[in-house]
Amino acid sequence: MTEFSDRDSKPGGYTRRSFLKGAGTVAASGVVAQTALAAAPETAEGRALVPRLAGEVEIQLEVNGKTQKVKCEPRTTLLSALRHRVDPPHTGTKLVCDQGACGACTVLLDGEPVCSCMTLAVDAQGREIRTIEGLADGDALSPVQSAFVENDALMCGFCTPGFVMSVTGCLEKNPDASLPEIKTACSGNLCRCGTYPHIFDAAVQAGRQMKQGGTK
Amino acid sequence: MSPNPIAQPEWKKRADMKVLNTDLRRVDGEAKATGRAVYSHDVRLPNMLYAKFLRCPHPAAKVVDLDLGPVSAVSGAIHALAIESEETSFLGQPVAAVAAESLEAAEDAIRAIRVEYETSGWAVTEEQGLDPATPSIGRRGNSFVDRETGDLDEASAAVASADVMVESTYTVPVQHHCCLETHGLVVDFDGKRAKVWASTQHVTGVSQQVAGELSISTSDVEVITDYMGGGFGAKFGIGIEGQTACRFAKELKRPIHLMLDRADEFLFSGNRSGGRQILKAGANMDGRIVGMTAEIWRHGGIARGSNPGQPYIYSVESSHMQMGSVHTNTDANRAMRAPGHPQASFAIEGIVDELAYALGMDLLDFRMRNLEDPVYHRQLDRVAKEVGWYEHGYRAEPNRSRGGKNVGIGFGISVWGGGGRPVCVTSVRIDPDGSVTASTGSQDLGTGTRTYVGAIAAEEFGLKASQVIGRVGHSAYGPANGSGGSTTVASLAPAVKDAAHKAREQFAERLASWLECSAEQVRFEGGEVYSTAEPGKRLSWAEACSILGSRPIEASGEFQGHLQTQGVHGAQAAMVEVDTQTGALKVLKMVGIQDCGLPLNRLAIRSQINGGMIEALGYALFEERVIEPWLGYALSANFNDYKLPGCKEMPELVAIIDDDDDRQQVIGMAEPTIIPGHSAIANAVHNACGVRVYDLPLTPDKILMGLTKKA
Repeated sequence: MTEFSDRDSKPGGYTRRSFLKGAGTVAASGVVAQTALAAAPETAEGRALVPRLAGEVEIQLEVNGKTQKVKCEPRTTLLSALRHRVDPPHTGTKLVCDQGACGACTVLLDGEPVCSCMTLAVDAQGREIRTIEGLADGDALSPVQSAFVENDALMCGFCTPGFVMSVTGCLEKNPDASLPEIKTACSGNLCRCGTYPHIFDAAVQAGRQMKQGGTK
Repeated sequence: MSPNPIAQPEWKKRADMKVLNTDLRRVDGEAKATGRAVYSHDVRLPNMLYAKFLRCPHPAAKVVDLDLGPVSAVSGAIHALAIESEETSFLGQPVAAVAAESLEAAEDAIRAIRVEYETSGWAVTEEQGLDPATPSIGRRGNSFVDRETGDLDEASAAVASADVMVESTYTVPVQHHCCLETHGLVVDFDGKRAKVWASTQHVTGVSQQVAGELSISTSDVEVITDYMGGGFGAKFGIGIEGQTACRFAKELKRPIHLMLDRADEFLFSGNRSGGRQILKAGANMDGRIVGMTAEIWRHGGIARGSNPGQPYIYSVESSHMQMGSVHTNTDANRAMRAPGHPQASFAIEGIVDELAYALGMDLLDFRMRNLEDPVYHRQLDRVAKEVGWYEHGYRAEPNRSRGGKNVGIGFGISVWGGGGRPVCVTSVRIDPDGSVTASTGSQDLGTGTRTYVGAIAAEEFGLKASQVIGRVGHSAYGPANGSGGSTTVASLAPAVKDAAHKAREQFAERLASWLECSAEQVRFEGGEVYSTAEPGKRLSWAEACSILGSRPIEASGEFQGHLQTQGVHGAQAAMVEVDTQTGALKVLKMVGIQDCGLPLNRLAIRSQINGGMIEALGYALFEERVIEPWLGYALSANFNDYKLPGCKEMPELVAIIDDDDDRQQVIGMAEPTIIPGHSAIANAVHNACGVRVYDLPLTPDKILMGLTKKA
């Protein structure tokens, strides 16, 4: 449940309904967006809605165990908040497709892998956000990160943070995950250099290590 | 003549190597796996603006009115520029650009721009390009022939008199590079000097081009490419994005962040050209291909397209080829990993298979009879063994059984140059504190350049790879060639070796008096330094370096032709499973062998071989640019509609470095690994069920259609 609910509505604030509509209008693109924008002034709700879209609100996000005050627009994605609005910017999480098709922006939200480009920043309030920057303990890499380096599971490295997060999300739930289960966990992640076989080797090795060491 | 001639740098024998020719971990793996690696996309500067393009939604249009005025009313928008205010010539061409305080504000500003277009005739398909009613796209007209080899009458006669003859038309779609980091750069210009972070395959070139755009001297431009998220041939020049970022930077005096969005990337940052190839070929009962004619049409959009020509690698007694291009109002093709070769491979490997089947000959045996170079014989044999060819039941005819899932095997081969050029100037420095740095202005596209640059110096000084810092991707580290044509390693490695060799000789000279020996007697091994005259007296590396006092060793290196060569070969095999009831296709296994002269980092080379096979698998099964032909809409300009291979489609992959190649010289090998994989898969599909798909990608509907016909 986000803070934007009908019950919370107050003068000058948002209702869940108007917020979602606004977000939808702006997040859409191309023909749909133009149609929606053109149609908006036709209704009272639409008129009231348009000026609100430019506004920023301050929200709190818990990123890698640290509470951050972040100024966001309703449409701001969690990805954009991480890369541009938290201080310092968390640029390890990558923007690649911006539509949930490639997994490069994967973060863990309460332990579940999500595409941060498909998650609104406001919806991440009150939830535990873990990013690629939050896995290593100082200079000590997490078992998944070490296994990626050892197995050459990265080439250009742009998809790597997303894969590391997907594998981490999978193995933290079940270090015994089989290779087909690992493949399913990473089936939303794309790599163009072609590191997949080495990613599989790394994930299997990391699972073994996490099971033995019990480390996260 | 120098009184004390310096010995030429030579690579050690492979057996003596401790660092090179082993599996080396990438030195920047940790930075990449922790998110600490800063790519151009990730650069954040105070006061920075985000720039974005408005694309023309039509294949070609007159710009009747371009109104940038409404941008000023958009919150956060700072400036707008017209890019093309007269007429556009390809689908998605940028017409305007904006700079704003945030990416979101830039998107708002783009939507605020009002453009009125007038469209008349355009072409997005070959048929439309050939239609006389289509307005002229290129200066030479919309279709032209620019290459012809051989004698048509002679070749046609040879085909006609052969024991068997086949004729087929092979078609390939346009493929996209799909670099995960889009094209773009950050330009920080104070009016006199510029600092640029660029996602580029050519740091040196970017500094020259940015200097030109900003009208300053190249020495006043600093270009940084610490990390870049893939290139595959599309990222050489600064492009419209570089020109536009420079315009904004000049006018606004604020840092400009201009990285393309994903649709931009699909629509105006280059592609692998498509094309159509009509091949007629004849072979005799002895298994020799005696004649071939090839008519090749490249589809490079507003550019020419590429294809190396036929009969590609195979020997044909008499052949004729005519090659031309058909223009369409689509983005210009650019170099893409082995430009033209995968296209040529698809047609020739198909027709070779067809001839073998027509003769009832073993597919592998038939290939070998028409390949002169014995390297291919040994490589084909190796992949055949690895894929299980010799135990396979269908080696001279396809499996025509129906009802179940059939397994088939196919082959393909590749060729490449991969030699170096005399461009790079590198440096190696040994400091009194024991640190060693090897530096080059060349860039690491993900191939592992940074790792081998350090490793070459480590090998020279008897150190571990981790003891040398490899520095790449900075214009101040010296000129380097663009990473194209797999020329980087053969251009760069000899220059690094040269610098390391000179640094070692200088160091030996400085240490000789301390070790009471001649410079020639000084040895660097296992992290220690000693004299062959007194091997028991050893200095640790740190002790030896401390002797340098306040004067570090610094040596500069240049290209050394004898340390590199060119000419590589590869062979790949694919094993697939076809469901003969549904046409569903699954690639079970791919095997790739590649020679590369002296391997520097075996682990990275195997990664490259895997990468080539996987990119070819995408070309075989999924990848295709789709443009709606009546309305001219781009239908595949994102990763939902343009499918890349993912985890679920990964077959078992076997990457083999051809160690029978004992050349003691470095050669580039990244490109040939992408050439034959899709051909092997297409041939394996035919082998599995008797259905030949002549146009990529090999989607189940095409296979099912074929199964229906053959039933």
